Amino acid sequence: MIQFKDVGLVYPNGTVGLKNVNLTINDGEFVVIVGLSGAGKSTLIRSINRLVTPTSGELYVDNEDILKYRGKDLRKLRTKTGMIFQNYNLVKRSSVLKNVLAGRLGHTGTLRSIFNAYKKEDVALAYESLKRVNIADKIYNRADELSGGQQQRVSIARVLTQQPKYILADEPVASLDPPTSHQVMKYLKKINKEDNLTTIVNLHFIDMAMEYADRIVGMRAGEIVFDGPVSEVTEKTFEEIYGRSIREEDFRGGSEES
Amino acid sequence: MTNDKKTLTDQVPSIYPVKTKIQVTIIFFVVLAMYLTSMIWTQSQMAGGFTGALGNMFNVMKNFFPPNPEVISAVIGPMLETIQMAIIATTVAAILTVPLALLAARNVTTFKPLYYITRTFLNILRTIPDLVLAVIFVGLFGIGLFPGILALIIFSLGILAKLISETIESVDMDPMEAMRASGGNVFQTISYALIPQVLPQYVSLVLYVFEINIRASVVLGLVGAGGIGLILNQQLQFYNYPNAMMIIIIIFVVVIVIEYISTKIREALI
Repeated sequence: MIQFKDVGLVYPNGTVGLKNVNLTINDGEFVVIVGLSGAGKSTLIRSINRLVTPTSGELYVDNEDILKYRGKDLRKLRTKTGMIFQNYNLVKRSSVLKNVLAGRLGHTGTLRSIFNAYKKEDVALAYESLKRVNIADKIYNRADELSGGQQQRVSIARVLTQQPKYILADEPVASLDPPTSHQVMKYLKKINKEDNLTTIVNLHFIDMAMEYADRIVGMRAGEIVFDGPVSEVTEKTFEEIYGRSIREEDFRGGSEES
Repeated sequence: MTNDKKTLTDQVPSIYPVKTKIQVTIIFFVVLAMYLTSMIWTQSQMAGGFTGALGNMFNVMKNFFPPNPEVISAVIGPMLETIQMAIIATTVAAILTVPLALLAARNVTTFKPLYYITRTFLNILRTIPDLVLAVIFVGLFGIGLFPGILALIIFSLGILAKLISETIESVDMDPMEAMRASGGNVFQTISYALIPQVLPQYVSLVLYVFEINIRASVVLGLVGAGGIGLILNQQLQFYNYPNAMMIIIIIFVVVIVIEYISTKIREALI
């Protein structure tokens, strides 16, 4: 369970990232956070694994205030929260398998990982994760030889190999075309259901949010302006969240092909 | 329509801001003035030098020919010593470079004071000419290979660490963020996300410094730091010009061969 209590974040240059955020995310939920760019979605998600640190309030992950975490505690928290990025963030010159094994870093000793002396179970787990996202035939390819959609699937496999409790996806489909976007979202949804992993996804496409979310949280200017199950959400809700009328660019469109 | 066009051309802005134009003009004239002054200065120093040099050149060259092939067998040993000096010095410098380059890279060493201290230290290293280092170490340890190797290590460390830290600074930071987000510590982040990105450039730069070291170790021999330079210096002092010429030819061939090989390897890497 993740609980935000009056969380605020002001960046060193004075920009307000989060303002009085109160939010509880229960285990197993698939939450989509929507809002225009600059609304604080990224800041919110990155606070959970402390890639950014809120400047006020309390943030509980599994009933522990994580804002005071440093060093070892922090790495343990990050091991528990897997992250998926807009730009995949793979090491382009490394092989797919090595990229996926990087998900084990938090579980593996420094020397063991530097000399690639992974336990057999870890390699098996990495291979299994690649199979789950249907990309097991590419394990020895360099990451930059893959297409965008394939790279994002590799990054999903990396997160699976990490065996986290929470998945944080920061605009996972913003760099992809419509069919691959749907494919990636379907994998995230599938993993959420099969492994009961709490998943928090940042999106700005209305149709995708409506299609995949259980619950939608709307943000504007660092504040939460809507929070409710997807059944309560209409286009009117989005107009309120965005603070303007809905445009064509707010939709991803398309559907998964093959 | 024509009216529109006229107003358009009236408002065309210049391609560069006026401020930039003035700055560039001033810089141009300052550089030009520097060229002119240095030309006048050096010419007055060399007055009458050229005609004399040309006449001497023929006399000097006459003494050097024909090269004496008999010295080849005696010179092979010191030549190999020179190459070994370069190999050892480059290897040690390549190892010592790693921590220094990481500490001198702004994106890895976020702790500012440490970054500035390492940068300054490297800058100081690079300001000392290799010849001065060799003279100092020969004074400390006596004539031989060891002072030469030490001088080369410090000399190449300065270049390598600087170039590699700049390579590190230009690296894609996204994968490093991903490693941190998956719970990796500093060493894991560096070995997984950073090293794969800089490894080809690292190898290429080490080979490049190795080439420089071969040439530098010849010069260092002149001040007593061992290797072929030492022998060359002796022969020149005894006025054995044909022997010296042979040594120069051998050095020339070896340097060209090594440069060719290392260029081929570097081409294959990048």
